[in-house]
Amino acid sequence: MKRTLLSIAAVGALLASGIYSFGDIARPKPSPAEGKVIFYSGLSVTSDPKAYEARLQISQETLKRLQEAAAREGGTSSLSQSIMHSSTRTMMAGMFMFLAISFAGVWLARSNQKRNTKAVAAVLAIAFMFGLATVMVRANAGPPGYIRWQNLPQSLKDGKETAGGVQIELVPGDQNMKLIIPLRPKREGE
Amino acid sequence: MERAENISIAAWPRTSARQRPRVSAKAFAAILIGSAIVSAAMASWLPLQMSIATVFLFAGPHNWFEARYFLMRLPARFGRSRNFFIVAFAGIGTLTLAYVSLPVMYYANVWSGANWSNAIAVWNTAMVLWIGALVLMRARQRRNGDWFWVLPIAFALCAANWLSPEMFSLAIVYVHPLVALWFLDRHLRRTKPEWLSTYRRCLMFLPLLVAGMLWQLSRTSQLADDNGLFWRITQHAGAELLPNISSHMLVSTHVFLEMLHYGVWIIALPLIGATGAIWNVKTIPIASHSRGFPKLIAAILIFSLFVVAALWAGFSVNYAATRDIYFTVAIAHVLAEAPFLLRMI
Repeated sequence: MKRTLLSIAAVGALLASGIYSFGDIARPKPSPAEGKVIFYSGLSVTSDPKAYEARLQISQETLKRLQEAAAREGGTSSLSQSIMHSSTRTMMAGMFMFLAISFAGVWLARSNQKRNTKAVAAVLAIAFMFGLATVMVRANAGPPGYIRWQNLPQSLKDGKETAGGVQIELVPGDQNMKLIIPLRPKREGE
Repeated sequence: MERAENISIAAWPRTSARQRPRVSAKAFAAILIGSAIVSAAMASWLPLQMSIATVFLFAGPHNWFEARYFLMRLPARFGRSRNFFIVAFAGIGTLTLAYVSLPVMYYANVWSGANWSNAIAVWNTAMVLWIGALVLMRARQRRNGDWFWVLPIAFALCAANWLSPEMFSLAIVYVHPLVALWFLDRHLRRTKPEWLSTYRRCLMFLPLLVAGMLWQLSRTSQLADDNGLFWRITQHAGAELLPNISSHMLVSTHVFLEMLHYGVWIIALPLIGATGAIWNVKTIPIASHSRGFPKLIAAILIFSLFVVAALWAGFSVNYAATRDIYFTVAIAHVLAEAPFLLRMI
C-alpha cells in the first residue's frame, strides 16, 4: 500500500513537473496570412528569344473581370477552405451526420434480418455515391490542373507554348508577382 | 363522409383515356426520344439563346398547367389528409416567403448579405426536414412498410447541405426538372399502364443522352457572359461554383433538363388527359363537389392566365429583371411539387 502511494506520488510529481516545463513553451508562431483565390482564368506560358524583359500580357476584358473580382473580394474558395473557415457549418454538418448515422442504426435495428442485408447494401451504395460526389467536387469534376503544365520545361526548351488554368490569388504584402507552376517531379522510368 | 383518397383517385380520367388509344406505345416512345434528342441538340447548339427563348415562352404557361394539375389533385374534402395538407401548405407558404425575403432584404439594404451561405443552409435544411415530415405523414396514411429510413436520408442530406450550401442549392436547380418525369411516371401508371414499361425504357435513354452531351461539351470554351443577362444564365447553371467546368456544358445541360420539364407539364400530361379539358373546371374535385367552389377556382385560373400574360409582358420590357423575379418566386411551384408527388406515391 505504502509502495503504491509512493508510486502515485512520484507519477504525480513527474506530471506536475511536466506541466511546468510544457507551460513554458513559446506560443506557436502565427501562421502567415493565407492568400485568397478571387478569380479563375487561363494562362499561356511561352518563351521569346528576342525579348529582354519578361512580359505579362493581360487582355482588357480579363483585367476588367479581375478588377470586378477584386472589388467583390469574393470568389470561389474551395470546399475544404470554406468548411475550415466556418465553424458553424462544420458543427451543423457534424450534428446532422451524427443524427443520420444514429437514425440509420435505429432503423437497421428495427428492420428484420432479411431487410438488413438490403439496407446495408443500400447504405453502402449511398456512401459510394457520396464518396464519388466528394471526389468530383474536390477535383472540381475535371482533370487536375497540373497535368496541363507537365510539359512546360520541354515546351520552353523547344520554344513552344503551354496553356493551362490559373487561379489569381490576392496575397498580403508588397512583394513581386509570383507565378507558381504545379510541376510534379518525374519518377524514374516515366 | 367521402374519403379524400377516393376523391383524388376518381379524378383520374382513367376510363376515357384508356378507351381512346389514339397513340400507340411505340409512337409514344418515338415522340419521347425524338423530342429529347431535338431538345438536347438545340440546348447544346445554342444554350444561351434557347435558355432565353424557353423561359420566355414556357415558364409562365408551365406554371399555369402545373397549378391546374395540382388543383385537380386537391381533394374537395381533406378528411384524413387534413394534417398532411396543413403541413404542406404551411411549408410552401413559409419557405416561399423566407426564400423571397432574402434577396428583398438584401436589395432594401436591411441585410448586408453577410452569412449568405448560412442563410441558404438554414433554408435548405428547413426544406429537407419539411419534405421528410411530409413523407412520414404520408407513410402513416398508407401504412405499407417501414418508412423510417427517410429520417437518416433526410439528416444525411442536411449534413451535405451544411458542408456546401451553394452546391446543394445548385443540385436542386438540376434535380427539380427531373421531378416532372416522376409525375409523368406516376400518372401513366394509373391512366395508361400499357405505356409504363415503354416510358421507363425511354427514361433509361436519358442518362445516355446527358452523358453524350457532357462528353461532347466538356471541352467547349466558356460562354461569353459579357452582359448581365448572359452572366445571370451562366450563374444560374453554376458557372461560378464550378469554374473548371465549361459554362457551355452547364448551361446546355440545365436548358435541356428545363426543356424536358416544360415538355412534360405543357405537352405530355395534358395530351394523355391528365388535366382533363383545360377550360372545364368540372374535372377539378374542389370545384365540381356539391360543397365546392367552382366560381373561385374559375376565377383563380382566369387570374393566373393574366399573370402568365403579365409575365410575358415583363419579359418583353425587361427580360433580365423579370427572369430574376420569376426564378425567385417560382420556388413556390418547386415546393408545391413535393406534397402532390407524395400524394401519388
